Amino acid sequence: MKQLSSTFKVQYDLRPAKQVERRMLLDAFQRLGEAGFQIRDYQYTGFGSVYFVDFILFHKMLGLHRLLSLEHEPILESRVRFNKPFSCVDIKMQPAAVEIPNLSRDLKHILWLDYDGILRKEFIADLKSALNILPAGSIVLITVDAEPPRAEDFVDINAEYSSGKEVLGPKHWKEYFEHHASEYLPLGQKTDSFTQSNLATVSIAILREAFKRSILYRRDVSLQPLFNFTYRDGHLMVTMGVMVAAPEDKRRLNGSTLTEASYFRANFDSPPFEIRVPRLTRKERVYMDFAMPCAAGWKPTDFELDDATIDAYREVYRFLPAFAELLL
Amino acid sequence: MRYAHADVRKSFFLDMFTRDISLEDCILDLIDNSLDAFINREKLRISDLIFDGNLRSDRLINAKIDVSCSERQVKIVDNCGGIDRDRAQNEVFCFGHLPDETPGKLGAYGVGLKRALFKIGKKFSIVSRTPKEGFEVILNTEEWAAKEEWKIPITFIDGSSSVKTAGTSITITDLHEEVKMRMQEGGVPKRVFRDAASTYPFFLEKYADVSINDEPVPANPILIGQSKEITAGREQFEANGVKVTLVASLTPMSSKANTGEQAGWNILCNGRVVVRADKTNLTGWGLDLPAFHSKYTSFVGLALFESDDPLTLPWTTTKRNVNQESAVYIRAKALMVTLTRPILTMLNARYPSEPAEVAEIRDAVHNVKGVDFKELASKPSVGFSFAPPKKKIKRTARVVFDVALTDIEKIRRHLRRPALSPSEIGRFAFDHYVRTECGD
Repeated sequence: MKQLSSTFKVQYDLRPAKQVERRMLLDAFQRLGEAGFQIRDYQYTGFGSVYFVDFILFHKMLGLHRLLSLEHEPILESRVRFNKPFSCVDIKMQPAAVEIPNLSRDLKHILWLDYDGILRKEFIADLKSALNILPAGSIVLITVDAEPPRAEDFVDINAEYSSGKEVLGPKHWKEYFEHHASEYLPLGQKTDSFTQSNLATVSIAILREAFKRSILYRRDVSLQPLFNFTYRDGHLMVTMGVMVAAPEDKRRLNGSTLTEASYFRANFDSPPFEIRVPRLTRKERVYMDFAMPCAAGWKPTDFELDDATIDAYREVYRFLPAFAELLL
Repeated sequence: MRYAHADVRKSFFLDMFTRDISLEDCILDLIDNSLDAFINREKLRISDLIFDGNLRSDRLINAKIDVSCSERQVKIVDNCGGIDRDRAQNEVFCFGHLPDETPGKLGAYGVGLKRALFKIGKKFSIVSRTPKEGFEVILNTEEWAAKEEWKIPITFIDGSSSVKTAGTSITITDLHEEVKMRMQEGGVPKRVFRDAASTYPFFLEKYADVSINDEPVPANPILIGQSKEITAGREQFEANGVKVTLVASLTPMSSKANTGEQAGWNILCNGRVVVRADKTNLTGWGLDLPAFHSKYTSFVGLALFESDDPLTLPWTTTKRNVNQESAVYIRAKALMVTLTRPILTMLNARYPSEPAEVAEIRDAVHNVKGVDFKELASKPSVGFSFAPPKKKIKRTARVVFDVALTDIEKIRRHLRRPALSPSEIGRFAFDHYVRTECGD
């Protein structure tokens, strides 16, 4: 299994859609906090890499103080430790599979399996393990890449494939997902279900099944879907999240304002919340913000924008980061 | 209203129901019954049996179970307390239990005895004595099959008058042709011997003396290890009255487990091994876990299911497999996978590019020593962990090089110390340089 960490692929803190997602999660956790969930005492476990963006956000804005970052890339160890933002961040140099059984059963958790690779069986196994052991009230999130499997992903499952000779297409992608998640795919799937435009749907369908099945035999808790995002900062990504909920957690959640949030997904059958980040100038944003939240049909009078852009902006403006150059 | 017949026929029990179990497992079923009588007499708790072997009271009378099998007869004699007349008349020969009957800990279904009797031979006799009373049943099953009625003649005899000699003796004769042939073919006693050793490791030696054709059966224990660096993963839960304890770690290196024969998951129901060293889909291999591979030969896992009502346990009627629809087993299996994965991650890491790390893991695997289940089960749930010892930071380096003998002589002459050894000269020159040229 060779996976290049996205540390080397993208500048973490400059991904606007990802940042919108983080801020929406933050918003959701704040709403849960208002409804009586003791979010501040939850343990947050994530893959902080060398940027720790989510850790900084959750510590500063939510007051989370039990923070654990997992890193499986040994060569990054010194950098990860050097970049650790707060003393309350614990770092373990091991994969999620090793750490999950060690997560305390006496604490509630927010666990974000924030993978940057395409869905594979190890991710599903991590998800199932977490759902099997985390106590009621815990929140589990998983993020995967929904782009087509590349040659290096495919060669993992089919050693006879030699890249260059054959261009990968839906046939190979079907083989890839059948290798990694066959028991979660419905019977008799045709190759045309695995076209590039459908791969996010495939990943969501597999994860939905994995979520549903892993908790079926726990009697004390049931699954409460919370999030289903898709977004794109280059690669198309999918994030799904649930609460491992006891009956009183469900009641509390249903009484919270989270259920009113546009990004909230109480079940995985409804379409995902697509985070669209319109490309606007700073001046345009300042102008638009002045009218936000706007009524449907509102249009700027000083310049032209299509309705889709305005709608997208209305959904994300509260969560959208503004990037600027600083001369430090 | 019209009705269709849905009667029970004797042939079902005599000919069909005996096909799904091996001869060896039938004999183990008879041993189960003896052990059940023993557990009942001694009021043993299964958890104590497994986790607290040292609590054995001196007053306890060990179970003695002697099995003999030949082409002429199969016989099992025990000192486990006998069956009282009331149970003999109303329960023992019935097929299945009534809802209000309390079955034993190992006999869940009320089929084992009858199935064994019918499978093995055409005639049987059972003599059983409690200290108070006794009974005898002698039956020719072929003659019995021809009759409409389901009753079996029973004769009352005297009790044993002592606890020590109370027990049951079952003799099956006039063996069925295929059973006789299997006996003639040889190997059956040996297989029963081997199967008993690996099925009752928690009973044998400590609580029960079982012999097959006069050969005492030793326990074939399931060994699980820990070390300074390695902590076993543990998980416990209770569902539907079934207490589940899961432990996963590495085998102690001294054990014969190195061959991989003992590697895998072991599933026990009320202390009896149901599945031994499983490396298949049944315990998650090749599904949520990778397929079993020779690099995992030191993996060992134990899944213990205990219940006062053995019907709630996930075993099949042959007690050689797991009922995969059992909710408690499905939940346990998910946790078994969770416990296994960190161990495989560690074992996989034995083959990376960094040789020092490999040696560290190899040493850790090598240092694993056997541990008591009691010690493992008394602690809270935790994942398997491997903490390699902190690397010692090297503070010295060795300096070795060749110099011309003439130069050594030069220094000896210069210092006027002709007896200085080359290493003393090296040391002197080095110290001199550090002192005079390097400052602080």
